[in-house]
Amino acid sequence: MDAVFQALAHADRRRILDLVKDSPGVKVGEVCSHFGTSRIAVLKHIQVLEDAGLLIRERQGRTKRLYHNTVPIQQIYDRWTTQYSRLWSQELTSIKYRIETQNESKKGNIDDDDETDR
Amino acid sequence: MTTTKQIDEASRKAIFKVFIRGSAQQVFHELTKTDEIQKAIFYSRMHVGSFEPGSTLTMRSPDGKNVAMIGKVLEYTPHTRFVHTLKFTSYDDPECTVVYDIAPKDGGVELTLSVENMPMGTKTAKNMASGGTMICNNIKAIIETGKPTFMYRTGLCALIKLAGIFTPKKCRTENWI
Repeated sequence: MDAVFQALAHADRRRILDLVKDSPGVKVGEVCSHFGTSRIAVLKHIQVLEDAGLLIRERQGRTKRLYHNTVPIQQIYDRWTTQYSRLWSQELTSIKYRIETQNESKKGNIDDDDETDR
Repeated sequence: MTTTKQIDEASRKAIFKVFIRGSAQQVFHELTKTDEIQKAIFYSRMHVGSFEPGSTLTMRSPDGKNVAMIGKVLEYTPHTRFVHTLKFTSYDDPECTVVYDIAPKDGGVELTLSVENMPMGTKTAKNMASGGTMICNNIKAIIETGKPTFMYRTGLCALIKLAGIFTPKKCRTENWI
């Protein structure tokens, strides 16, 4: 589990997971193109995520495609959530997301940084 | 050159991977047993005439009255690989393909569940996305601890899933066999 938390403890790596989650099977090169940093830096991040089991790399001919493996996240959830806490925490987060989405659309400017305390 | 077809196929796929401290035999047995309820797969009972490719496979409610999922066996390689098509009887979505791969790793096994040809944006796709993680984690828990995860056993989620999948009349077994 250390590897999973370490992998998640970096904003760029969390953003890579967002990208892969939104487009399953995305090419490695396409992920790199979303970052201002060097390709090598992004590849290193992808490797860390893969070692933690959060990303799965599949080779299709000469192309490498990425998929998000949600199992490690589910294990974290299973460990610290109970039947009751799940119900109520879901209620609270859904209120949070609803209000924040409303406020963001009012501002007309969606902050794309995930460093807000989600 | 990547064709549009390849891109389409690549994006209509989900992969789930889990490491299990157990043997390939145990994992394969959990996935293919027909004599006991498959606790990891929504407490359903697998019915299959034979595991020859082309045979019809159904996942039924424990009492056998309803069919939740129906498909055909595509590949059955003991302790290594099991592939079948799958369709939820309660939805009018096209079928998808479910692939279980079991490979030895670090003194245990790695179970990979791939869902291919997912009908995107449908209820089937939604169910498979949440179902995939649940199945992997529960097989892990059953083999390592003897029972499914606490969340799954006690959670409302299993009941809601069962109720949601099993209730409609069109799911009654007589409509599918």
